[in-house]
Amino acid sequence: MLGRVEAPRAPLAEYDQGLAWSAILLATLGLVMVYSASIAMAEGARHTGGSPTYFLARHALFLAVSLVAAMLAFQVPMRAWQRAAPWLFVAGVALLALVLVPGIGREVNGARRWISFYVANLQPSEFMKLAAVLYTADYTVRKSAVMDSLGRGLAPILAVILAVGWLLLAEPDFGAFVVISATAMAILFLGGMNGRWFAGLIGLAALGFVALVLASPYRVQRIFGFMDPWADAFGKGYQLSHALIAFGRGEWFGVGLGASVEKLLYLPEAHTDFLLAVIAEELGFAGVAAVIGLFGWIVFRAFVIGRQAALAGRHFAALVAQGIGTWLGVQGFINMGVNMGVLPTKGLTLPLMSFGGSGILANCVALAILLRVDWETRQLARGLPA
Amino acid sequence: MRLAAAPAADVRLPAWRARVLVALFAAALAVLLGRAAYLQGMKHEFLQAKGESRYSRVIEIPANRGRILDRNGEALAVSTPVKSIWAIPDEVRLDGAQAEALAKLLGVPARELRKRLEDTERDFVYLKRQVAPEVADRVAELRIPGVFQSREYRRYYPGGEVMAHVLGFTGVDEVGQEGIELAFQGELAGRPGSRRVIKDRMGRIVEDVESIRAAQEGRDVVLALDSRIQHLAFQHLRDAVAQHRARAGGIVVLDAATGELLALANLPTYNPNNRAQLAGAQLRNRAVTDAFEPGSTLKPFTVALALDTGRVRPDSTIQTAPGSLTIGPATIRDAHPAGALTVRQVIQKSSNVGSAKIALGMPAETMWALFDDLGFGAPPRTGFPGEASGKLRPAKTWRPVEQATMSYGHGISVSLVQLARAYTVFARDGELVPVSLVRLASPPPARRVLSSGTAREVRAMLEMAVQPGGTAPRAQIMGYRVAGKTGTAHKQENGGYAPNKYISSFVGFAPVSHPRLVIAVMLDEPSAGEYYGGAVAAPVFSQVMAGALRLLGVPPDAPMTPIELPAPGAEVKESV
Repeated sequence: MLGRVEAPRAPLAEYDQGLAWSAILLATLGLVMVYSASIAMAEGARHTGGSPTYFLARHALFLAVSLVAAMLAFQVPMRAWQRAAPWLFVAGVALLALVLVPGIGREVNGARRWISFYVANLQPSEFMKLAAVLYTADYTVRKSAVMDSLGRGLAPILAVILAVGWLLLAEPDFGAFVVISATAMAILFLGGMNGRWFAGLIGLAALGFVALVLASPYRVQRIFGFMDPWADAFGKGYQLSHALIAFGRGEWFGVGLGASVEKLLYLPEAHTDFLLAVIAEELGFAGVAAVIGLFGWIVFRAFVIGRQAALAGRHFAALVAQGIGTWLGVQGFINMGVNMGVLPTKGLTLPLMSFGGSGILANCVALAILLRVDWETRQLARGLPA
Repeated sequence: MRLAAAPAADVRLPAWRARVLVALFAAALAVLLGRAAYLQGMKHEFLQAKGESRYSRVIEIPANRGRILDRNGEALAVSTPVKSIWAIPDEVRLDGAQAEALAKLLGVPARELRKRLEDTERDFVYLKRQVAPEVADRVAELRIPGVFQSREYRRYYPGGEVMAHVLGFTGVDEVGQEGIELAFQGELAGRPGSRRVIKDRMGRIVEDVESIRAAQEGRDVVLALDSRIQHLAFQHLRDAVAQHRARAGGIVVLDAATGELLALANLPTYNPNNRAQLAGAQLRNRAVTDAFEPGSTLKPFTVALALDTGRVRPDSTIQTAPGSLTIGPATIRDAHPAGALTVRQVIQKSSNVGSAKIALGMPAETMWALFDDLGFGAPPRTGFPGEASGKLRPAKTWRPVEQATMSYGHGISVSLVQLARAYTVFARDGELVPVSLVRLASPPPARRVLSSGTAREVRAMLEMAVQPGGTAPRAQIMGYRVAGKTGTAHKQENGGYAPNKYISSFVGFAPVSHPRLVIAVMLDEPSAGEYYGGAVAAPVFSQVMAGALRLLGVPPDAPMTPIELPAPGAEVKESV
């Protein structure tokens, strides 16, 4: 009955082509912009051997590997993902703990976020984002009967999220903590959690956030830098002031691909956290609007796919789809907000676009799962087994 | 168990909650869009100004310094490209053999080189400035990472010590310090241009935004100097200074028709291309910056004034016996008492008493006015830096004895350039021309100081002075008629006259029938025995004048017969 309601008149496509193309477009633009943003840095740095294509080659390789991983992930039925969810989550927690062990975790700029393998570095927090989505969705579905009960429903999952948060803050990786917390809360909210408790939790989270900021001086500094980057433009506000200059230089249509000045060693992290600033400078408002639009479309499609799965009674799949949409949306919003000085500076990459193997891989697998949810729903609508 | 009993999806996953989240995302993305539009469409000018203050720089485009050329176009001072070798110590990677090769090429001790390269605190160190291009090429062949070269210019003076004082020199940054280089700094230097560029954070230029001002190349300066005559003058002066063991010497050659400075040399001198060890004495452009008491070379002006004002005629008799003249407490003496002399003979024999007697017949103001007309007591304004004006006291303060001594060049001081210029009055029928350092297209306006008749009469007397029976027969030149006057003066020392230190000079011109060149020669403290101007300075005049007239192709105005010199011991010694 539900399938008939949603059945379109035209023959149904096998998968959500608009979503797939949006993701491919973002990833391709990301590859081009990572190259553009990193040339000057790659030429000047010693660890790259002065090769201008150092980051381009690696990013292309990451994308290729991620594409293969995504195709494999697409083959996995949602039932299997649900069964694996607790184990994936346990594995993620183990990796997060492992990264804190001296000698195993690799420290860069005072943060211990990477586990070094011989060929590449693994960033466990990126996989934790995916595992958290799967696990929270699974938990919400499994415990739906007791979700009104504080002790049996809500408290355990909150404790687990807090534990993961504690591990993330120990690295520290404040950005990942915010994304994972927000995504988990969103899934609980979507899963029908008690409204009053939710409101109470939001209030508590806000209080906790304030306490956290006050307890860590470097985060306070970051917040002051964000309020008025020009007050200390060569100190705390340095990064943001250069990002804003990049936006201003770009105007409506940009200075042209490759013509950014800010990427010439002025703007730190131009190829990772501040990739959008380089897009803003080289491609202008048009480029920024395109990126915002594509992210908006992906998030919107994720919620639509989730809704359709929910209507088909596939609750785990529905929550996973909307969780993935929330994750990409929150992380994209925070990254872009940071680039524009709307949010305080924190280390978060732009999903699908920024340089970084673990992030790209996790994002691509997540999108594959999203497409899988959609595909299964369509299969059901045709009366085929999912 | 209500939920488990009612498995309707829209109950367990309330649709409105998803809509709330979608709406939140839409709002968030709208905020981002609005913020981007605000930053890129409204605040862009402010942001761009902030950006420009960080990476836009105005850089200077250096202007090439002009050459200094002689009147025939020969280059006397040129800027040659050289390289400066510098390094970024942090980036330098070199092995022992390379270090040794580099040290050897640059001529810097290996230890010193290593010390500079170990200073990794600094981003930039010069290893050696102004290296010849060939050496720089060989340094480049070593291919040492972190060692770089930049192009610079170095001033080169092909004439070396011969022209040192005329040309002067520049500092490392190519700014004139002395001589023509300083006098014509404005023309030679040109004006550096400037461009606005964008630099990356390492300071490398990545974009040329706009030209603010184009560089204006320095102009070439064409001097009046004739380098052939300059070489001639320098060589003969050097030989004379050596021969007479003089402390110093100077020579000035002027074109009588135009006042152009054809040559000017001083000793001691220096090599402007290697100024490692420079002493003050070598640097002095004595002919311009030092005034001295000229002695008898001023007598012709006294006589000329007396002739011009009708007080004497060339054949008027002046009684010089007994060879001395007492004025108040002072006594003026002639070296060889001569009895009654005509005015002509006063010049020819250079009699102090005769000259003093002629002078005392004239008001002080008249004499002062003539000296002033001749340019004594005021800088000659040739443009040379540090010109001496010489000493000429106001006539009101003159005592009679001073008026008498000034008539034969004591109690008054002049520079060699002033003296040479004053003699253009005799060389060109009573007119004085200004001295010009640069080549002139046409003769400058001259100023009449004496009547042409007087000038011609004195010229005849000066011609007698260089003939046998005069004080400077050794100034004669075969084939040309020559005129001139010797000067031999005690040097002033500690407020008095030193008994055996002299300044010997000769000023003259040729050919007398149509004077072409004026040459003034001065030797300071000749100490090899001879010290009379006729014996020390006159031969230099003769050699330089003869050579210069031939170089210029001036037709002879006298028979090509060997010149007559008086028998040894029979020379006429001037009074000192």
